[in-house]
Amino acid sequence: MKKQLFYFVTAVHDVFFIFGKTLLTCLKGPHRAKEIFHHINQIGIGSLPVILLSTAFAGFVITGEIAFHMDEALHTVEMIPGFSAQFILREIGVVIPALLMVSKAGAANTAEVGSMKVTEQIDALRLLQIDPIEYLVYPRFVASIVSLACLTLISIFVTLSCATAIAVIRYHFTWLEYVNSLLVFVTPRDLISALLKGLVFGAVIPVISCFYGFRCTGGAEGVGSATTNSVVTSTILIILLDFVLTFAFSVLLY
Amino acid sequence: MQLVLGFFADIGGMALFSLEVVRTWLRTFGQNGSLIVEQIALVAYRSLVTILFSGFFVGAILVIQFHLMLSKYDAVTLLGGLNTSATIREVGPLIISFLLAGKVGAYTAAELGTMRVTEQIDAIRCLGRDPVQYLIVPRFIAIVLCSLLLLVFGVLVGVAGSMVVAVELYNMNFLQYMESIPRFTGIWTIIAGVFKSLVYGLIVAAVSTYKGYFASGGAQGVGRAVTECAVYTNLLIVFANSFTSYFLENVQQFVNNTFGGF
Amino acid sequence: MAISFKNVAKAFGQKKVLDGVSFSVETGEVLFILGKSGMGKSVTLKTTIGLMKPDRGEIYVHGEAVHTASEHTLAQVRKKCGMVFQHPALLDSLTIFENVAFGLETKNRERVIECLKLVHLDESILNRKPQEISYGMQKRVSLARTLAPGPQILLFDEPTTGLDPITTNAVNELIAELSDRLNVTSVVVSHDMGCALRIADRILVLDQGNILALDTVDRIKSSSEPLIQDFLREAL
Repeated sequence: MKKQLFYFVTAVHDVFFIFGKTLLTCLKGPHRAKEIFHHINQIGIGSLPVILLSTAFAGFVITGEIAFHMDEALHTVEMIPGFSAQFILREIGVVIPALLMVSKAGAANTAEVGSMKVTEQIDALRLLQIDPIEYLVYPRFVASIVSLACLTLISIFVTLSCATAIAVIRYHFTWLEYVNSLLVFVTPRDLISALLKGLVFGAVIPVISCFYGFRCTGGAEGVGSATTNSVVTSTILIILLDFVLTFAFSVLLY
Repeated sequence: MQLVLGFFADIGGMALFSLEVVRTWLRTFGQNGSLIVEQIALVAYRSLVTILFSGFFVGAILVIQFHLMLSKYDAVTLLGGLNTSATIREVGPLIISFLLAGKVGAYTAAELGTMRVTEQIDAIRCLGRDPVQYLIVPRFIAIVLCSLLLLVFGVLVGVAGSMVVAVELYNMNFLQYMESIPRFTGIWTIIAGVFKSLVYGLIVAAVSTYKGYFASGGAQGVGRAVTECAVYTNLLIVFANSFTSYFLENVQQFVNNTFGGF
Repeated sequence: MAISFKNVAKAFGQKKVLDGVSFSVETGEVLFILGKSGMGKSVTLKTTIGLMKPDRGEIYVHGEAVHTASEHTLAQVRKKCGMVFQHPALLDSLTIFENVAFGLETKNRERVIECLKLVHLDESILNRKPQEISYGMQKRVSLARTLAPGPQILLFDEPTTGLDPITTNAVNELIAELSDRLNVTSVVVSHDMGCALRIADRILVLDQGNILALDTVDRIKSSSEPLIQDFLREAL
């Protein structure tokens, strides 16, 4: 029990240490734009197909689900556009890309950094006077934040389009009708809160995944279990932070 | 193009592999009892706390969202029903199964992948045992069963979590919250939740055993297997989500039309 | 004749690993397969017991056609063969006892201890897990596991890599002894020309997917091939 507590405390300390040092690097550099673009390409563009596909499918379902519930509750399907748009902007369009990003980019990060660790490449970096956090975490951090913010906007757009398409096909809305009633419900505040959530989740993923990579020990098994732990911890943290942010926004913004 | 072809090749491979697993299971039915029980205990033990924890917060997030929407229309009385229904039918299984993909799926892929690249699987074959029977069947069965159970538990805790948040943060009356639940949830809500959980469990089992069993190329290969496993599982779960939704809707209509409903 | 290869070929993508290889191994013989890394040594072993299928050619083990055999016949063939892998390949979740007894029909404690004795290990480690003993010990346990069912043919994939010199000697003597006493056929893949010269009956040198030489130790020693010369110089 004592050992577990110690482990937990040092883990939290390490996570905040990595986070702090990365923020510091954000302020004073070196910025190494080329590396950052490379990682945006890998993290952002690399996750694009998966996220596009799955958010499209999420959009297909959501209209049906909202319609079912609205029909039960208010005996009308008039409210579909507003409710589904709000639900997509505030929740589904934000959480699904973040969780997919965890399994795509987060897992890859841990596997990459972890195998560098077990093959002693990170020790080699230290010997060359290169700070591994500056060198490995910082470019991923910036790239991940930028990518997830963009991907959140893209996925909101895609989900909303698919939801609209289903509403038009199955529930006989016209495009204009849908967009009009959507604009009544959706405010810039929704977009801001979505973007803020995207930024926060984008910051969580690289810090946690690199933390597990650095902690990796003991060969192939070590890398495998570090990757698993990284995916699980990031997912839980995202769900937890989503709860906190949702509540905060519901008090502050609306 | 290569990506798309690779994806379909993987899907086909998974389907064939799952068939082989089921065939092996039926052929050796009753011989794997203790191994299956052991795996069930392991899977459940490893993920129960995590699943319950996150289930609670998924429910909590949803109740905040629904409260925001409903309070605009003075329809807060419907919060309990709407929220419970959405948690069971849709969001609960979806989000919690994402976690399951990481916790159970990635772990299994890493474990089997390591066994593959360190030649443990070849060693089992050389010693005259069938690795599919010895390793895969118990894991497959255990993952499907446990995923189903864990998702059901997770969703139930989610429902409880939303109650707690509604009562504590929004000062709702507990009875008032409960009152609207029967209006939205019935036997079909539960069928939908359980059916979806079963399908997601099958996906986690099929993807993780397939990706792990056919890992190749040393430590990097294991890493790749784990990452691909996580991505494929999540992607397929989102697909399955929309297919099962439409499928269940049609089944419900068919049953209601034929038998006059429940 | 224990094993025979007829015109066997195997390629991975563009890379031809075996390109029409034919040879045979007599019962009770110790054959060493030498060659540089990636020259198809391990593939030769794995095709012998059907862990890999050759692209073309025929492979017979005790007269049984392995290249076309079903999983069921392969299981019969594998009962007669034992393979020692490059990695220890012990099952992590089982104890040493369970690992060694894995291939036995009845989990006979005496037999397990007897096999551990053969590789100079004693019963004190029986209840430990593979992670808790050293790499060299893991490799020896792996050898004991292979010996436990009493195979007539043994295939070794670099059995002495990563072992200290004393254990290396012990393993090599064990191979020679099994061949002399129990008439066990051994095929050993190795980099180590030194042991090959000491205990092999014949040596096979693979290069670029072809057999460069297959001969008795004495005649290999007097070969003029540059690659074999390199190996010989290494051994001295």
